[in-house]
Amino acid sequence: MSTRAARWPAAGMRPDWTLIVVPSTQDESGCTPPLAGLDDRALVAACLGGRVDAFDLIVERHQRAVYQLCFRFARRHEDAADLTQDVFLRAYRGLRRFRGDSAFATWLYRIGVNVCLNHLSARRPRQTSLDDAPPMAAAGEDPAVSIAAGRQSARVRAAVARLPRKQRATLILRVYHDLSHQEIASTLGTSVGAVKANFFHALANLKKLLAEEVI
Amino acid sequence: MTHLSPDELVDVAEGRMDPAQATHAASCDRCRAQVESMREALRLVESDRAPEPSPLFWPLLAARIGEAVRGERRPGAFAWTWAWRLVPIGALAVLVTAVGIGISTRSGRPGGRPVTTAAARDAAPRQAAEPAAAGEPADDPSWLLVSDLSADISVEDTEASGALTRPGGVDPALWQLSDAERSELTRILREELTRGETAVPRGSGA
Repeated sequence: MSTRAARWPAAGMRPDWTLIVVPSTQDESGCTPPLAGLDDRALVAACLGGRVDAFDLIVERHQRAVYQLCFRFARRHEDAADLTQDVFLRAYRGLRRFRGDSAFATWLYRIGVNVCLNHLSARRPRQTSLDDAPPMAAAGEDPAVSIAAGRQSARVRAAVARLPRKQRATLILRVYHDLSHQEIASTLGTSVGAVKANFFHALANLKKLLAEEVI
Repeated sequence: MTHLSPDELVDVAEGRMDPAQATHAASCDRCRAQVESMREALRLVESDRAPEPSPLFWPLLAARIGEAVRGERRPGAFAWTWAWRLVPIGALAVLVTAVGIGISTRSGRPGGRPVTTAAARDAAPRQAAEPAAAGEPADDPSWLLVSDLSADISVEDTEASGALTRPGGVDPALWQLSDAERSELTRILREELTRGETAVPRGSGA
């Protein structure tokens, strides 16, 4: 018996070493397993295990929703794209803090709302940009109708932009992202009752703002 | 009559009402008007469709984010980017401690704490076996600096800090230093100490 074998703990004895299993990024054949079928939590785990391409898939799945959220706050395409990148970068940096208590999308929305509200706090109020202008009429569409709809959209966006921060975030998440009151409460770190109250006041204030001709 | 609360008005406006709320909303003009006002505001907000970017925009945005992400360190990895700053400080501390203990062990300085560690036990027989040569390190004035610096550091503390990683491993290394090496070590230590004193003036806060 070799010296190495002689040191091996006898059956039933507790070894004085610990076996740590580190998840491999490769399967038994040495190939990286496909990620496409994995859910968000599994992708997060894969990413934490060293597969950056898992995060590419997360981006692919959620970039549209995150962009739309950022656009609702920023109201300008370029700003929304920059904010979207910022949201994903922050998510990547803090990926280990995602514990899976809520859906990944909800966690991402929470980061998105914070990023957008910080962005709004940091910048000075901007003037109306070309993005706020009525869109061109689509082929076959009555230009007068299209222009009227565009103006109405611009008025609504301007009114939403004037709402207090929590009311604005609640309204955007509820109306444009179809989140439940519970999901919004989780995203904003508040209670369902507070979410409903904010939503109620947001709609009431919006009505008042839209009634004003100064918008 | 108790009117509907804001929570209940939201539920009614969104079509999630219990029978009692529905009955009240149907019979109360004030609550019905509020619900209608909310529904009108909702219709206006919902009618605003955000402009959809070009289909080419999404792969470009994903590529841009992917590139930015690859410029980041791996999520959850320890931030070694600043840790290099600790290396010189740690190295100096270990060096001073190790040299001081080596000298204390060899010279048996009065007032030194009794050394009972494995390192000391290993060192003792060798110390007794070696002849007292001229130019003994403990007699060298340059070694006094190192010795003074480490006078207040006990072997137990040193072991606890991890500086003594291998019992008896430091002493032989110290004994094998030539005069030139010891001089160089002394120069480095003086230089580091001078730099430390320049950076943190003594008594500045008194």
